[in-house]
Amino acid sequence: MLDTRYRVEIPGGINLDAQVVGPIPRFFAFAIDLAFRGVIVFVLSMASIPFGAFGLGGGFFLIFLFAIEWLYPVLFEVFWRGQTPGKKALGISVINDDLTPVTLGTSLVRNLLRTVDFLPLFYLAGLITMLSNRRFQRLGDLAAGTLVISVGESNRPAPQRDLVPLAPSTPLLRTEQSSIIDFLQRSQQLSEPRQRELASILEGITHEKDDNGVLQLQRLGAWFLGLR
Amino acid sequence: MNLDKLQINACIRSGWQSVDLGFLMARAWFRPLYFAGLLAMLPLSAVLLLVFWKSPFWALAIIWWLKPFWERLPLFIASRKLFDEEAGAWSSFRSFPLKDILPWLLWRRFSVQRAFDNPVTVLEDLRGGQRRQRLRVLHGKYSDVALGNQFVCFCFELLVCFGIALMIDFFTPESLGLEVYDKFDDLTLLGEWMFTLSGFMAMSLTMPFHCMAGFALYLNRRIELEAWDIEISFRSLANRKRASESQAAGLLASLMLAVIVCLAVPGSADAAIDHDRDSAAGLIEEVLQSEDFGQERTLRKWRFKDWSEEVDEEAFPEWLIEFLEWWEENVDWSTDFSGTAFLLKIVLVILFLGLVTYLLIRYRGPLSRLGSGRPREKAPAVLFGLDVTPQSLPPDVPAQVMRLWDEGGYREALSLLYRASLSRLIDKYEIAFRASHTEAECAALVKARGIESLSDYFWQLTAVWRQLAYGHRVPAGEIIQDLCQGWTTELSDESK
Repeated sequence: MLDTRYRVEIPGGINLDAQVVGPIPRFFAFAIDLAFRGVIVFVLSMASIPFGAFGLGGGFFLIFLFAIEWLYPVLFEVFWRGQTPGKKALGISVINDDLTPVTLGTSLVRNLLRTVDFLPLFYLAGLITMLSNRRFQRLGDLAAGTLVISVGESNRPAPQRDLVPLAPSTPLLRTEQSSIIDFLQRSQQLSEPRQRELASILEGITHEKDDNGVLQLQRLGAWFLGLR
Repeated sequence: MNLDKLQINACIRSGWQSVDLGFLMARAWFRPLYFAGLLAMLPLSAVLLLVFWKSPFWALAIIWWLKPFWERLPLFIASRKLFDEEAGAWSSFRSFPLKDILPWLLWRRFSVQRAFDNPVTVLEDLRGGQRRQRLRVLHGKYSDVALGNQFVCFCFELLVCFGIALMIDFFTPESLGLEVYDKFDDLTLLGEWMFTLSGFMAMSLTMPFHCMAGFALYLNRRIELEAWDIEISFRSLANRKRASESQAAGLLASLMLAVIVCLAVPGSADAAIDHDRDSAAGLIEEVLQSEDFGQERTLRKWRFKDWSEEVDEEAFPEWLIEFLEWWEENVDWSTDFSGTAFLLKIVLVILFLGLVTYLLIRYRGPLSRLGSGRPREKAPAVLFGLDVTPQSLPPDVPAQVMRLWDEGGYREALSLLYRASLSRLIDKYEIAFRASHTEAECAALVKARGIESLSDYFWQLTAVWRQLAYGHRVPAGEIIQDLCQGWTTELSDESK
């Protein structure tokens, strides 16, 4: 089963799920960061001119340039929940591969190895390593044991308030309950014939046909959502 | 379309997540998709390259323009792979029709979401108005992601192209004398061929990823619109219900059978259950014996820390060596002892100063209290609710105690004796009781003082007092007399 899901089982049998993020969103995140860094460097260079381009100002500018080039991603990732501004814009975040927050050590390793990922030109090595494993880890990620995951949350529409919740007549598994909830929450997006078709699969449970079956499922969904 | 065999996890994803899923699909099926694309490209490209062999960039441009055509075969194969159907590249190549290809190679070549729109033509076979309507439904909020896919994959293609060209350039031995650039820094024919071939390779390598990203976006939209995930889940639920119903029917039948059997031979059924229980207990025991359920180990020995690593090989300091060398040069050991004496004197002075410093540091607490006005912690005025200040005591404690005792005030009498003792201990022996101490702790402090008779006396007094105070047991009068006498010898002003 192909999936972008990355699952970690923690003691106690609890599964933590995350969605790994591939090259395309990371390309845009990097581009945004590059632009952001460009602005910072431009402002700094302007600010350093009054202090002498080849003297004190120039020296400090070079030091700042070095710091920004090497520490910009590290500082943001460590102190801003694994996100640089570009990653924030794309809703993605860096995290350790056991799904704990990224630390100074891991962030440093993954960003120092950027130079290797950059080879031979414009992150070609990074792209190839990213595509060589199913967690989309570039070389720096592999070395540091980090992942880039998606942190955007999905917003589901609230169910209609006028539904009368209905208790199920037979016990249902949790996955089954959540798919009935899904049916309720997504019925806006589904065409009516499709809704009837889906409801007809569960005729053995609702004991209703067509629109009544759809309504019955929606009422079950409302019950599972806790609207009692 | 058999959703049971769907090879991707059907669930609602965001646009970017589905593009990532597309990359995973391309990864998983890379070989068939890549070779399908190559198979589609090779014949015509070979002809084109032969025709334009003097200016291969033209051939490359045409190959690039024909991309919508090449992309159909990988997409078709992926659509079969998606439902776990085998599609041989050659058979699909033959059965694959040229649906609606002209618009795709003319004005639709400029489409910026080709990979997303392709499945509608290739797999759904819609044209004209129908296609437009379908695309309007599908595009929704995902057109920007489709555009992003197109743009990024174009960048990746350029990257791979120049990467390959650079690698070829790097790894070609100079001794071969192959010139990629001429003296005007223009590409030679060889250089053009190098870039053409790397461009061709880049195109074929990135095509599966680009196609699959668009295909996954299309799939995601269909999962969203048609609720594939819900259908899959509903079907498995219906199957489970059906299975459990038939199982229940079977269970009912077997239960009835069991009832009949039980009625016939009641003993045997019970025995069977008991047997089950016994063997289960044995089994549980056996399972628990296995190593997986932990082992017990008791370690009862002290061991030294491993100091050996910390010992420095070169503990002999440099300055000492230098000093000794200087010593040897300047002092004659055999005749002149004054030098040796001088050395010993220095060593002794250093040792003495070190000792003094050590003592000062070791006892800095008591020493610092020497000078100050408060030699120790202030003695508490009240212990266990008893006033222990000397001012609260009558002048002749034993007489007062005996008087109270004779009057029947046992509790008052003994408490007076006890607190008088505490007060004297604080005053005379300077025992550092604290308000938080219990009676037994106070007695222990007295014992720690090391005066045996005093400690024995106080232990006895404490025991009697605790019996009375907490146990409400009144001691005999002789004991009180003894205690009063003891107080006089041990704690009164006249005592030693």
